[in-house]
Amino acid sequence: MAADVGRIPFFYNTEGRLVQVDYAMQAVSRGSTTVGLKTKDFAVLASQVKPTRPLLEPAEKIYVVDDHVGATGSGYIGDVSTLVDDLRLAAQRHRLVYDNPIDMATLSRQLSEQLHALTMYAVRPLGASIILAGIDELGVQLLQVDPSGTAFRGAGFAIGQHADEALEAIGRGYRPDLTLDDALRLATETIESSNGGKGQIEFGVVQADTRRFERRPLENGG
Amino acid sequence: MTTTVGIRSKDGVVLAADKRASKGFFVGSKVVQKLFALDRATAVAIAGQMSDAEYLVNLAKAERRLLSLRRGYPLSVRESARLIANIVYSGMKAYNPFFVELVVAGVDRDGAHVYTSDMSGAVTSEDFMSSGSGSPIAYGVLEQGYRADIDLDGARRLAESAVRAAMERDPGSGNGVDILVLPNGHAPTGVN
Repeated sequence: MAADVGRIPFFYNTEGRLVQVDYAMQAVSRGSTTVGLKTKDFAVLASQVKPTRPLLEPAEKIYVVDDHVGATGSGYIGDVSTLVDDLRLAAQRHRLVYDNPIDMATLSRQLSEQLHALTMYAVRPLGASIILAGIDELGVQLLQVDPSGTAFRGAGFAIGQHADEALEAIGRGYRPDLTLDDALRLATETIESSNGGKGQIEFGVVQADTRRFERRPLENGG
Repeated sequence: MTTTVGIRSKDGVVLAADKRASKGFFVGSKVVQKLFALDRATAVAIAGQMSDAEYLVNLAKAERRLLSLRRGYPLSVRESARLIANIVYSGMKAYNPFFVELVVAGVDRDGAHVYTSDMSGAVTSEDFMSSGSGSPIAYGVLEQGYRADIDLDGARRLAESAVRAAMERDPGSGNGVDILVLPNGHAPTGVN
């Protein structure tokens, strides 16, 4: 009997794993290398925009969620953009209800709940991890949310292809007193070294003094 | 109650409004803001039920933000006016009307615009426009003073004198004038 339960793909297998969620994480680890970095003064998001065919405009990888929050993701782009749409909606709903910008805990909780709900039923969990960078009353914050619904809060994250190497590179180069230029350089070097310097990188920055998230799009569109 | 005025000129738009909020025959507030900026280039002047109007303005701000984030450029003044009118119209059709008369004004790539939307959800484009209980008096001043080639400063002075005239004779309007000037060329192009 126990063996039979393990063969139903959306239940626990005999090792106690949710294989569908594992597959979703695997889908994320095939996505483009994407990193997030944070100090008390700013947070940086950086994502590799995969080399495109000629005549094709590179895809948007850094998303403005609201004035003070930005997001990036790795995995299936369709899944990422659906989640970003919902984040934007949550941010505006919060403004309507409370007349205040949304805080990072509420925003990431909404994202977690949404992803978690898809681990409970016979549906496909979304193949996307999201890194959120934003500022609220508690300061600059950086969060990663995975297909399982797990949210991590921290100073440095890497998702997508070669995420382990990237995370290691960030760990080596990170200091709490990093300047913004240092952080942008570290993010660039991390992404370039983890995948052989292919493609371009798109950035997003949120700063404590301006309290605004700004997307820095690629020069040739995107 | 209230008097609001919107005037279109060749180099921008002007909105003006009084500051009185009435509670029946009582002056409920003397410092009410009736002009709301949706962004640096679009604004709304409200008249009617304060709660309805404020809710509508906030809803419009949220919807505008979502659309401009999605498509990468902001709404034109006409799109903003139509968005608000559609919300008001669906309210009317659901027997839950918004008791408002709004002036939506601003500048975009095509220049300066003044639109008005009443509680039925109808939208009209005007050179100048007034709403609220003081509007018949304000219109007297506007009809006399408006010229097709009016400049922005002339429009500002005309808007102020129209509201001041209404404040003299309309008991629903008073306690000072707020003025908002939106010159051409300030339309944001991106979403950041």
